[in-house]
Amino acid sequence: MPRLPLEGIRILDSTYVFALPYAGGHLADLGAEVIKIEGPGRPDVTRTGGYAGSFPENQAGEGWWNKPSTYNLLNRGKRSLVLDMGDERGRDLFRELVTVSDVVMENFTPRVMRRWGLDYPNLRKLKPDIILVSNTGYGHGDGPYSGYPAQATTQEATHGHCWVTGYLNDGPAKAGASFVDFLSTWSAIFALGAALRYRNRTGKGQWIDIAMYQAGVMFLSEYLMDATINGREGGRLGNRHPYRAPQGCYPARGADQWITLSVGSDEEWQALCQVMGRQDLASDPRFGDILSRRNNHDELDDLLGQWTAETDKYELMHLLQGAGIPSGPVLTGRDIHFDPHYQRRNFLERVDFPEEREVGSRFLMGRPYKFSNTPMSIRGPGPAFGRDNKPLLRELLGLEEDVYQGLVADTIITDIPTSGEASPQMDPARAVELGLLADYDPEYRQRLGLA
Amino acid sequence: MLTGALDGVKVLDLSEDIAGSFCARLLADYGAEVLKVEPPGGAALRRMGPFFHDDAHPEKSLFFLVLNLNKKGATLNLETVTGQDILKRLASHVDVIVESYRPGYLESLGLGYDDLKELNPELTITSVTPFGQDGPYSQYRGEEIVNYAMGMIMSISGVQGREPLKHGGFQAQYEGGLFAAATTSMALFGREFTGQGEHIDVSITECVASTMMATQTMYPFMGGTQVRRRASGSMFGHPMPCQDGWIIVQTGGGASWEDLSEFFQCPEMLEERFADRAQRAENGEELDRIVIESISERGKWDLFPKAAEYRMLFGLVQTPSELAQCPQLESRNFFREIEHPEMGTVRVPAELFKLSETPYRLERPAPTLGQHNREIYVEGLEYDEQQFTQLRQLNAI
Repeated sequence: MPRLPLEGIRILDSTYVFALPYAGGHLADLGAEVIKIEGPGRPDVTRTGGYAGSFPENQAGEGWWNKPSTYNLLNRGKRSLVLDMGDERGRDLFRELVTVSDVVMENFTPRVMRRWGLDYPNLRKLKPDIILVSNTGYGHGDGPYSGYPAQATTQEATHGHCWVTGYLNDGPAKAGASFVDFLSTWSAIFALGAALRYRNRTGKGQWIDIAMYQAGVMFLSEYLMDATINGREGGRLGNRHPYRAPQGCYPARGADQWITLSVGSDEEWQALCQVMGRQDLASDPRFGDILSRRNNHDELDDLLGQWTAETDKYELMHLLQGAGIPSGPVLTGRDIHFDPHYQRRNFLERVDFPEEREVGSRFLMGRPYKFSNTPMSIRGPGPAFGRDNKPLLRELLGLEEDVYQGLVADTIITDIPTSGEASPQMDPARAVELGLLADYDPEYRQRLGLA
Repeated sequence: MLTGALDGVKVLDLSEDIAGSFCARLLADYGAEVLKVEPPGGAALRRMGPFFHDDAHPEKSLFFLVLNLNKKGATLNLETVTGQDILKRLASHVDVIVESYRPGYLESLGLGYDDLKELNPELTITSVTPFGQDGPYSQYRGEEIVNYAMGMIMSISGVQGREPLKHGGFQAQYEGGLFAAATTSMALFGREFTGQGEHIDVSITECVASTMMATQTMYPFMGGTQVRRRASGSMFGHPMPCQDGWIIVQTGGGASWEDLSEFFQCPEMLEERFADRAQRAENGEELDRIVIESISERGKWDLFPKAAEYRMLFGLVQTPSELAQCPQLESRNFFREIEHPEMGTVRVPAELFKLSETPYRLERPAPTLGQHNREIYVEGLEYDEQQFTQLRQLNAI
């Protein structure tokens, strides 16, 4: 087996929710030993099935905290340690772990690590070359919002994305899913690779301080430039493009089926007229160049929508792409499991859970990239709560059995959460009725070969 | 002494698009020495606005500027034999090539990973493309809207009864660039131990898809398919109008439903019909009405610090010019100024994150077209003056 890039790197992952937990999951794919650390009464919120996570067969049941879909996707391949960081004994064990680790990741609000004496200056005293990765909503420092609570879906407004997202001539909107979290995820992976290389060459660690807000704003760089230099405020274009026309999302055959396409040149426009069998439009002066097509976009939308409505979305993609026109169907969470391109690239990996978890096998997304010389895969589901307490504390730190049992007795460590409950799951048929789900397919396990 | 985390890493940036350019810029931001290699007519991004004072001049694209900070620049025509030879010579001395051509294009010129690794086994090629290097759609053409559609996010963005909606701007391209920089940095660290490069295959569509955690996993876990929100009665959790703009509030965080009711000064929220998620969905239109009514006379900048006192998950819709003056970004030193030969002093969004030992540096603006040709070809590859002239005559550079 080729050597994975992070082989031999131990990471203490004291992070919650989406952004850094997902970074930890990807770092495990890359070969790191990632130890997820949670508090006895503070199981990660993704363990509750909250934020639209799903339980197997929609049933929480026994050991619900080890079952949710998003928890297992985000935390795949990690080890689990449950440790009460609110107690000095818990923090002491954490400190001992720091001395035998390479990286610490955390996403507490800025004051917490300081209060615990676990901020970068203190960690550095324990392990001079430690690399600390911090992710917060607004970043450390003395800025006015540094102490504000934050999470991605509301930050999407604050960092400007909602201003530029929305239907044409309509109010601001946000994308359907948490978005800016993943900018922190990948900023962390990027920064960590660079910091590890630097440490390898100089022996020095460092502190990586990521702010979700700042990353979100970076992704609007051209709007900021336009505002600063030209005094322009940008705004919402719906599905249109500032320099291409027509571009949009049009109905395809079937209920709630859609196709997107984008025309960037006169040649592509001519090709589109040909595919539509509408030579009359090819010579229509209303659509003669990009500017006129932009000015008459509403009429184009009507013409295109009428043409696409009777044809299957995949057929439309192949037809349009065959003529050199960028195009693709709107794929749902269900669709990608049956899409030949996703299948061929093995984007979805079948992950087998240990039998006692009562989850069976499920498909989880792998990585959006491949290394030619170093194949990777998901190395296992998210770990059961506290699964590795014993090997980590008894074997790695060499704790005596009676000391270990004392910690168990005082609930400094545990493998059953002392608080928290499964997020209530709605009956899927009812959720469809209420417009909270598009569809429910009771045959999914058979269809996916998981039954 | 090393001052940047990626000091000593040499990169050729062959990309003409947003994703590849952003990837290479990030590598440059944290210490890599990056050479932007453009076709003699200039990278396509030079023709994309916004432009400095709306002047559509190839040296005045603000988009090109911001995505090519900290790079040097040279021109090279890969479609000439001499150009191909020069690329091979350059590739022998670099660590990374970033490219975003259609899969197979560089191979067709004899410049693919398999060709170049013969010359330089430590070389990593980072390819950022709409659908990746293989698979049935690899030769298909991507666009921002297509990446969003096929990456699942459009299926849940917008409202029911209307068409799915793309994100504003070029988020998928930026994501592709960031994810590509991250995988490149991991490959560079791995190389410290193996002495071997990689061909990294980043699919922009998969970058978008990989963020759809709840959307993807719902089907194999319980057979459901996520959907766009309802057109009415689902404003809560989405931008809602207040006196002077829009705010957004989510349940959760450190605030209870009772706290939210107090924040909105809206005791009706505590009524039985809003007690849980199912009831709030069923009575969504009523909930929207009373909440929006309660903030119609309140301003977003007053609500923002108030929400922080309640430990609420709260956002307000900022405009680009509000962001340009944001005191938080100021405190983080996010914007920097740089001197550009055609545009003068410009303020640019600069620092993505803070590194304590090897801080971000802004050392140069984007290169003008062919700005460093002499340095690269005469001083670097040792072409003499006569040959340098010939290279230009041959349209090789």
